[in-house]
Amino acid sequence: MSLPLAGHAAEGTRIQVTGEIIDTWCYYSGVMGSPDAVVGSAHHTCALWCSAGGIPVGLLAEDGTVYMVLKVGEDDQTAGGDTTLKLAAHTVEADGMLYERDGLNYLVVSDVVSDLDITNQNHDDYGNVPPFSIPDPNK
Amino acid sequence: MRPGLRTTSEVVRAALMAITLVAGMPAASQSPFPVDIGGPYALLDQNGQTRTQADPDGKHQLLFFGYANCLNICSAALPLMAQVVDELAADGIDVTPVMITVAPDQDQVDTMGAPLAEIHPDFIGLTGEEDALQVAYDAFKVEIEPLFQDPEYGWIYSHGSFVHLLDGDGELLTLLPPILDVAQATKIARGYITPQG
Repeated sequence: MSLPLAGHAAEGTRIQVTGEIIDTWCYYSGVMGSPDAVVGSAHHTCALWCSAGGIPVGLLAEDGTVYMVLKVGEDDQTAGGDTTLKLAAHTVEADGMLYERDGLNYLVVSDVVSDLDITNQNHDDYGNVPPFSIPDPNK
Repeated sequence: MRPGLRTTSEVVRAALMAITLVAGMPAASQSPFPVDIGGPYALLDQNGQTRTQADPDGKHQLLFFGYANCLNICSAALPLMAQVVDELAADGIDVTPVMITVAPDQDQVDTMGAPLAEIHPDFIGLTGEEDALQVAYDAFKVEIEPLFQDPEYGWIYSHGSFVHLLDGDGELLTLLPPILDVAQATKIARGYITPQG
């Protein structure tokens, strides 16, 4: 079941955008590393933790614009559900509605046209960011 | 990221980069939120009193779904809410911070008040029977899923992401992503409570 749109006309713009599903907390805070390090394969594990823990996911478009993802496809929850976990760090081609509100870009993804998997293979450059996102089995 | 958030939430607040999601001046007249969020609920606060989506004093509300010992997003969202409440109070605007628990086994009437009071003395914690809580989860499109059991803190849950700004009747005005810094979140909230122009 998809989320119903609000009863009154909420003006949105249909867009198609390609970009990476990112962990918005680590991307904006800088606390885990530079923006280049907290995306892609280097940050995949942490992005899973953050998404599961409630951090809103975003879509980082090729032009650098970040869209706050309100929902994806048929998930009946706001920025949650299994779909966002499966797409963490993946590059996707998304079709959806853009709502600009409070200076933020909110995206309701109606269709993930293609899931290109993790295309940003940056773990050779950065390793696992942060290293402790993979628990040490010896501790 | 759980370990990082546990120890660095205050650092993170200070270190938030100049977000490209620059919070513009909100307009109360803008379109309703594009996703239909919100609705009635009736739960118990930390004093055992029934509280609904409407604030008894008609104040605006900041609502988040979390739990008192949550080490994930709550460690960012709840302090953010507290700071926004204080910033608005400095302008003479009273806003009530409210948390609806996603872990009623851990957050009970007699246990959730103290940890919330450490975050802000005005924090209202709400809990209740499973059916009553599910009504609120459904209304606000919040999904809750147990992730794993921490030997020290009990069950760790996946849950909702956004802080909800509600009016005194409990109607949604807008969402505040908890990645915003205090100034940005306050600016957005103020724009709905005291609209300009």
